[in-house]
Amino acid sequence: MDAVTYPDEGVAKFINDNLIPLRVAFDHKPLASDFKVKWTPTLITLDSDGVEHHRTVGFLAPEELIGSLMLGIGKSNFDREEFDKAIATFGSLLERHPKSDSTPEAIFLRGVSMYKNTHDPKPLRASYDKLTAEYPDNEWTKRAYPYRLIN
Amino acid sequence: MASKIEWETSMDKALSRAKAEGKHVLLDFFNPG
Repeated sequence: MDAVTYPDEGVAKFINDNLIPLRVAFDHKPLASDFKVKWTPTLITLDSDGVEHHRTVGFLAPEELIGSLMLGIGKSNFDREEFDKAIATFGSLLERHPKSDSTPEAIFLRGVSMYKNTHDPKPLRASYDKLTAEYPDNEWTKRAYPYRLIN
Repeated sequence: MASKIEWETSMDKALSRAKAEGKHVLLDFFNPG
């Protein structure tokens, strides 16, 4: 991460603009134990109360890191039932990083967020259709499979 | 001038800043070697 991803200017700007970056050693006491860290790099998105919402283990290239961080912010919005914010964050991820490995999960959760906001099930079907068309072999396409029955 | 990540090293300070600035925290556990 220090050789490739963190020196990337787009990554640094995204992190400085959107997150508070906190870095500690893998054996930090008590955080490594508190967060059950077993390998590095482990990257965790926390809300401002310190609650975990998203985690990755292992190297991420610059494009993948930004997508993953956007997904983490959106998942925090989703978990806290801030569905308008979640929809906006996931939508931004789809628009700006459509090839990111994080995008299929964002499509799925955007559809769920829209449903939670309106109780209209059509966004669930739309998420299934988009996943099927663009990411046919992805695990999130499989998870959306029941939504094919929504008219 | 190129951007550089300005890492915090204290959880308390990071959470305090996150509340004040309305942001999330990226917590990176790394191997300093």
